[in-house]
Amino acid sequence: MKVLILGGNGMLGPWAVTAMKDRHDILLTDINDPYPEYGGDFLKLSVDDVDGVVKAAEGMDVIVNLSVLRPDRQLAFDVNTMGNYAMMMAAREHRIKRVINTGPHFQLVGQQYEEWDFDLNPDMPPAPGTRLYAHTKALGSEICRVFSEHHGIEVITLMYYNMKHTWNLGGPEQEPVYHEDMVPFSTAWQDCGTAVRAAVEVPSERLASNYEAFFIFPDLPHRKFNNEKTRRVLGWKPRYHVEALWNKETRLPPSGLHEAF
Amino acid sequence: MNLLITSAASATTQVIAGPLSSSHELRLTDLARNATGEVIANDLDHGSRTDELVSGIDAIVNIGYQGQTGSPNELIDYHTRRMYNLLWAACEAGVKRVVNISTLRLFQDHEENLVVTEKWRTNPRAEDVDLLAAHMAEYVCREFARDRMVQVVNLRLGWPFDSSDTTDTARISADLITDAVEAALVSEELIQWQDIHVQSKVENQRYITNTAARLLPSLAGSL
Repeated sequence: MKVLILGGNGMLGPWAVTAMKDRHDILLTDINDPYPEYGGDFLKLSVDDVDGVVKAAEGMDVIVNLSVLRPDRQLAFDVNTMGNYAMMMAAREHRIKRVINTGPHFQLVGQQYEEWDFDLNPDMPPAPGTRLYAHTKALGSEICRVFSEHHGIEVITLMYYNMKHTWNLGGPEQEPVYHEDMVPFSTAWQDCGTAVRAAVEVPSERLASNYEAFFIFPDLPHRKFNNEKTRRVLGWKPRYHVEALWNKETRLPPSGLHEAF
Repeated sequence: MNLLITSAASATTQVIAGPLSSSHELRLTDLARNATGEVIANDLDHGSRTDELVSGIDAIVNIGYQGQTGSPNELIDYHTRRMYNLLWAACEAGVKRVVNISTLRLFQDHEENLVVTEKWRTNPRAEDVDLLAAHMAEYVCREFARDRMVQVVNLRLGWPFDSSDTTDTARISADLITDAVEAALVSEELIQWQDIHVQSKVENQRYITNTAARLLPSLAGSL
């Protein structure tokens, strides 16, 4: 398939490209130049450039939106909300059948869920609250939902929370901490990427509706969040289960060579 | 009450501003490209000018549907980002209540025989950017209410305004619009997020207004 990736040079982009590059034709877009190892097609493009996104989407089978901006209010709305509007306008214009949207779990599971409840699942009504990142992403998802309902576009929303490096289970912004209170929605970067591939490839007949959302994390024992739908519908099988974070029997080897992983 | 009314140049604000001025202190605002005369030009950006706009205000009447004109991008931006900026500043300033003026057209694709009430999910068309924008404005408002930052009355008004065409079964009179806004500003019966549907009492009335009659009893004779 021909896959347009928006915002492909962020943290998730390389893992999604790695998972898909041998199976699909990718046009990578971003406001920044591609990472040096990327040798495929690239277009410099801002996701909130509606005309530019529409033009880039011509001839594509699937659009994958990995774009995200968090702290600046103007940019957060431009990228997280307007970017989805641009993507859906492009999908409608070119009759693109499927769109993969990505975002943080709290675009759906706001504080009023997360601080109170368990077995949280991706089919709950969104309750993002007013936190900028969650709010702007939720607005973007709502735009996707409305377009999906009225134009028959399949929108698959993948939600992530805490991404981990497999070699030490640290994250992009924190050192690894073992056997302490972990985020019960933690996923290895490689698996984050293969989830995008699974969403691109899942047969339409397995989707219950044109708008389906999924939590992307491996089997974890907490039962805070529920990933059953992801495994059942997408057929996604995570390779890593970040076990050293939640099982005391799994420890870093003294050699520091991280054989446990 | 010190009231801020947005989209001063809009038809809705033109309907309500005069009557409300007799019982409230009004501050009218609009985007700089629309503002004339006494209207405060403000683009509702994230900054001190928006903070100043809401300083000392008790309640805001926000025109969430057809308050603005422009490109689709501009309308989406206004009803998401600029709305967020306004509400954030309002909450910081201690504004207690927002009356968001929305539209019953969000249900227009439902057949007329259906008993549509506030318990029905809205169903905007993506290709009608005015409706999509109104839907997004409701979304932004609802999240501020959900976080208990401000109380929001979401008034979905019938359409068109002041029509004499009896086939307009969702029409609403200008007087009822004003009365509904006034009642929504002062009602003490409301929860943190309150949808209320309002249209005139007409033959073959399309939308049920029982909630309005219950929560805004001063309207009861008009509904």
